[in-house]
Amino acid sequence: MQNTNDIILKAINKSYQKGDNTVVVHDDFNLTIKSGEFVALMGPSGLGKSTLLHLMGGLDQPTQGEVLIGGQRIDNLPQKKLTQWRAENIGFIFQSHHLLPVLTAQGNVELPLALTPLNRKQRKQHASMALQLVSMSERADHYPKELSGGQEQRVAIARAIVSDPKILLCDEPTGNLDRKTADEILALLAKLNSDSGKTIVMVTHDHKAAEYASRVINLESYILSQNNSLSKNEELLQNIEPEVDDISIGASS
Amino acid sequence: MNLWLLVWRNSFRKKTRFGLTCLSVMVAFFLFTTLAGVNHALTASVSSINQYRMITSHKISITRSLPINYQQKIAALADIEQVSYASWFGGFFQNERNQIAVMAVEHNSYFELFDEYQIPKPQLTQWKKTRTGIIVGQALAKQYGWQVGDKVPLSSSIWMNRSGSFSWEFVVSGIYQSSKQAGDNKKIFFQHAYFDKGRAYARNSISWLSTKIVPQANVEQVISAIDNLFAHSNSPTRTTTEQVFVKERAQQFVDMAMVINIVVIAVFFTLLLIVCNTMIQTIRERLNESAMMKALGFSSASLISAIYLESLLLLSLGAALGTLLATVLLGFVKQAFGDFLPGIYISPEHYFTVFALVNIAAAFCSFFPAFTIKGIVISETLGGNS
Ligand SMILES: Nc1ncnc2c1ncn2[C@@H]1O[C@H](COP(=O)(O)OP(=O)(O)OP(=O)(O)O)[C@@H](O)[C@H]1O
Ligand SMILES: [Mg+2]
Repeated sequence: MQNTNDIILKAINKSYQKGDNTVVVHDDFNLTIKSGEFVALMGPSGLGKSTLLHLMGGLDQPTQGEVLIGGQRIDNLPQKKLTQWRAENIGFIFQSHHLLPVLTAQGNVELPLALTPLNRKQRKQHASMALQLVSMSERADHYPKELSGGQEQRVAIARAIVSDPKILLCDEPTGNLDRKTADEILALLAKLNSDSGKTIVMVTHDHKAAEYASRVINLESYILSQNNSLSKNEELLQNIEPEVDDISIGASS
Repeated sequence: MNLWLLVWRNSFRKKTRFGLTCLSVMVAFFLFTTLAGVNHALTASVSSINQYRMITSHKISITRSLPINYQQKIAALADIEQVSYASWFGGFFQNERNQIAVMAVEHNSYFELFDEYQIPKPQLTQWKKTRTGIIVGQALAKQYGWQVGDKVPLSSSIWMNRSGSFSWEFVVSGIYQSSKQAGDNKKIFFQHAYFDKGRAYARNSISWLSTKIVPQANVEQVISAIDNLFAHSNSPTRTTTEQVFVKERAQQFVDMAMVINIVVIAVFFTLLLIVCNTMIQTIRERLNESAMMKALGFSSASLISAIYLESLLLLSLGAALGTLLATVLLGFVKQAFGDFLPGIYISPEHYFTVFALVNIAAAFCSFFPAFTIKGIVISETLGGNS
């Protein structure tokens, strides 16, 4: 039975054409993420983790295959529809917060609501609630430059959840943070997953993040297990520099 | 939080850059408006001149006089509708410093030829009946507080009257207003008959003749007919159309205006490049922010309109300041040098032109940023660990 917010990547091929060369990032890649999961996506650099995230969020289109979210194909949506769909369904959190320096925390969080029919007062309320969820109410009137890295990331999370999307896509959200701050952010994401039921897909190099996620996918082993024929990926694997301290957690499902 | 607030805040993000760019916009529009006003003064008097009027003066110099009977002689030629004449009085009021353009004119024909001087009919009729009557320009009447019926003594620096005085008695019969934008309202006209009988010497002479030809006449032919007629007399003439007459004097101004025009066009072009470059730089600096906004669901169109509004704000502010400054300055110049350049005038259309230019420039300046914005690939801009 398909839940309304399942993320399904079906027979995805993603390749780039560089002159005569074709760089294949993903080939015949399949993945299903159930609604309400908190997935940590791990693996060596350059394997295509961010690419997968972009495909799920409609920031990028596959060369072949289908991306289904809640049963709806989004890979062939026209640009305008896709933009609107994204505004309603997806919250993004990047390694860099990309907050607008000219707006306060409150202003930044309100920004996505400018696209909704909410009135001024409602926008203010929603933004305040989102800031409260990330424990940043007291800093609402501060500008990004007046906040610490962790606080900025919290505001970015508030901005990502303010329009109440069902899915949060996070690309190394703790990449720029120290251990303690990273733990706080991860705990916050876990809370959003458990309390608010957000489906979260998080790309991370941080093994401790696994402790917060409900499922950890090591992309390297996942791809290997997916393909019975090793030779199919030989070429691809040769291009990957294995990280020395990379612990293969293994693909679970 | 709305997009306009974002535009506003973004505008003043780099205050120095905003200020300097704004200043260059200001200078350009200041020049533009100043020139438009002066240009009007320089060229308006030339362009609005009656094609069918000619001026005949002494061949050697306009300061030499002509016999009064030239009027009938010219009137007898073909294709002539009307001939009038005038003499230069060289007048001032009370004090030599109050120089006034006073002219003795043939009272029956002059205002029929020069119909741009609008005089109420009863006043004109009264003036024709009043030997010592004067028709005074509205601005001048206002300046000295003269009203119809007032007795006004005017002095001449050239003409002594029969009682041996240089002071002449006049009475205000009417007040004219010029229908031309550039026309000055500071002249005085009085009856040539009074002038001729009243002066102590040089009777039956005039300074110049004004001739109106029929519309279908060949201008060149009439000119040579007049000048040939007097070619072998004691007072040979030189006839030009009024347009040529004024244009000759104004040509140097027109040339000057053209040079300034070219300079202003160059300044505008430079300005466009400066603002355009600023906007391109601005959008490059905010590439990440723009990509983030796109990821949040803002369309390229809304980001492009934001950059258009930002250009518009910058240009509007600069243009408004520059135009205002020029308008104020021209106001002062007009007060101080109004006699020298009576046509200083900024038409309402000029302000509309400024408005249009600002909008066009804003569109132009958001043209290249628009491509940058449209071309943003969110995954590439934000996906990297930048
Ligand atoms: N525009 C592009 N043209 C060509 N190749 C590209 C392009 N974008 C991405 N790639 C390639 O796709 C592959 C996957 O990139 P991706 O950013 O998804 O990796 P990643 O797993 O997120 O790596 P990291 O952990 O370093 O962030 C890389 O080998 C990269 O070189
Ligand atoms: Mg990545």
